[in-house]
Amino acid sequence: SLQPIYGARYPPVDPRVLCSLLKDTPKTHAVSVRSKKPATFHEFARSTNDAWDIDDEEDDGGFFTATHSTPVPVQSHPSGEAPRLKEASRLTDTEPEPRSGDRAQPGSTEISQEHLNTDSELCNGRVVKSSSDVQLNSNTERSTLQKQQSLPLRPIIPLVARISDQNASGAPPMTVREKTRLDKFRLLLASSNTNLEDLRKHSWSGIPREVRPITWRLLSKRKENVGVTHKQLYTNISDLLLSFFCRYLREFCLSGRFDIQPAAMCRESTTSSRPSSSSSFPTSHLLTSVHRFNLRLLSLSLSLSLSLSFSLSRSLSLALSLSLFFSKEDVENFEMAALPLETQRNIEADSFWCMSKLLDGIQDNYTFAQPGIQKKVKALEELISRIDEDVHLHFQKFEVEYLQFAFRWMNNLLMRELPLRCTIRVWDTYQAESEGFSHFHLYVCAAFLIKWRKEILSMMDFQGLLMLLQNLPTIHWGNEEVGLLLAEAYRLKYMFADAPRHYKR
Amino acid sequence: SADFLFKFLVIGNAGTGKSCLLHQFIENNFKDDSNHTIGVEFGSKIINVVNKFVKLQIWDTAGQERFRSVTRSYYRGAAGALLVYDITSRETYNALTNWLTDARMLASQNIVIILCGNKKDLDADREVTFLEASRFAQENELMFLETSALTGENVEEAFVQCARKILNKIESGELDPERMGSGIQYGDAALRQLRSPRRAQAESVQECSC
Repeated sequence: SLQPIYGARYPPVDPRVLCSLLKDTPKTHAVSVRSKKPATFHEFARSTNDAWDIDDEEDDGGFFTATHSTPVPVQSHPSGEAPRLKEASRLTDTEPEPRSGDRAQPGSTEISQEHLNTDSELCNGRVVKSSSDVQLNSNTERSTLQKQQSLPLRPIIPLVARISDQNASGAPPMTVREKTRLDKFRLLLASSNTNLEDLRKHSWSGIPREVRPITWRLLSKRKENVGVTHKQLYTNISDLLLSFFCRYLREFCLSGRFDIQPAAMCRESTTSSRPSSSSSFPTSHLLTSVHRFNLRLLSLSLSLSLSLSFSLSRSLSLALSLSLFFSKEDVENFEMAALPLETQRNIEADSFWCMSKLLDGIQDNYTFAQPGIQKKVKALEELISRIDEDVHLHFQKFEVEYLQFAFRWMNNLLMRELPLRCTIRVWDTYQAESEGFSHFHLYVCAAFLIKWRKEILSMMDFQGLLMLLQNLPTIHWGNEEVGLLLAEAYRLKYMFADAPRHYKR
Repeated sequence: SADFLFKFLVIGNAGTGKSCLLHQFIENNFKDDSNHTIGVEFGSKIINVVNKFVKLQIWDTAGQERFRSVTRSYYRGAAGALLVYDITSRETYNALTNWLTDARMLASQNIVIILCGNKKDLDADREVTFLEASRFAQENELMFLETSALTGENVEEAFVQCARKILNKIESGELDPERMGSGIQYGDAALRQLRSPRRAQAESVQECSC
């Protein structure tokens, strides 16, 4: 029988088995698995379930996240990005879109649940099929195109599956608890005047992917829009965006701030968008269209915030738009350019709103000399010295500075340290927190660092410490880990945020 | 364990392939999904140069202007540097003077720099000739190699040559490893220093017989 293989999350493998497998397998496992020659393809597929996420992170790399000179196993096999992306676009031709719950009536949850089940079953069959045949393609392609080593057979996680699966996290498609949560969200969203406070409260512990687009939109909505129905908001947004854009453009022109910086920025953005090597650049239809679309979005964000890092805004906006986009109900086809112009503009506008909300309060992260980041790294250092002296002293002993690893954590909001599905889950909470991106992030970073205390304390030299901190093994992380991380961060915030001197040494 | 520990820098404009050079050097393969370096990244490798084991502690810096304030703080105490440009981009070549000034000013006068014209494999798109770059290198007392992080050509060579030059300078007395901020440590001393408080460093250096 066929064993579906798209990510450690989805397959009907018993989650408990999977969990224990993942827990028992530190990063060295991945290496040993790879070096062993698998007897059968299925065996191989099973044994490398956890390897998916490596690419998850890596691949996103092209677009979203990670990279770095990670000389840990993770990097030992540069991922074939192009083939995989091609796969994603092919999938889109066959796979039905997940239903968005935003229009669902409270009474209709039964039906939509049914829909959902059939959908996922359908996907199951198709994804399996297409991922295996693409796998063959990509293999031949890879062996000819690139000097790939290691993995003889590497199934591919479709981009779509990975993105739409972020909420499943190793669990079967939907548990009773998840279903109750979804129902709760649907109930909230179905009312013509959604109570944002309630919505925020519920979002803190994660938003079901079916209702994420509409929820994010509502949470990032400006105050003046409260009371406006979804539909009104939706139609107004594009016009607002345009006027917004024009205003910023005019202001910047008038203030004469169009000096070196934007020029350098544009140069940077053009060089970065230029394919650096043809094999690594996604040639698929999907990606080029999304890419084009994002460049437009970016020109907006660049104007909005003069010093916004290009790669960051690219990652952010792409992540945002993909997550908004992929769960829309009215999109049957992934070809962005084929969408009605209005829909394109809407998606763009939605992403933009979420993004401007996201950047609210962290603008000084991206101005000259990045004072916001410097301040936050200092704050992290102080926080750690108070909550975990052992780790702090260990760093001092080996002359590891916080800036050496935490700079990126702040600059990229942990996007490069976590798989994309986790980043999106973290953002659910950031959207729900009052100052999620600007303030709560610090506590998440602290919790994240302390999470690795055992590993940190076992490293007995500078090199080892830095290599560890640069490549923390989060590849298999799912909702459970992120949930714990956020809970710990909340505890820290609760203890320290309101009493900054309370624990001061 | 190593006889020496050298601190190295990799500098140059964004997109010239600094991280890929480092990756190729350490992992012996090409990283084709590279992303912008944020701030700095760290890598380490032990190489054998003229019968000495040298541990390189390499700081791969972000080329983007915005990170300059962060990356500059890593220059201090570097013994060697790879100054990287892209042979298919004149712009990255033209920026070399600035990088050089920065390195000489912020690292140390004695820093040993090797100029690397990267992306040698893209000869068809070349915008900077070998001759021109080698003249520049000569005028500025730099070593020079054309490298390819894709094929691996001259990558190890670049790091090794730089390390060899430093070793030569130590032997000839031109470089004093014990001077503060030289970016050089004796292997044993380095290990001891890492395990014991900083004060012990001076003593252990003197004890060392190498």
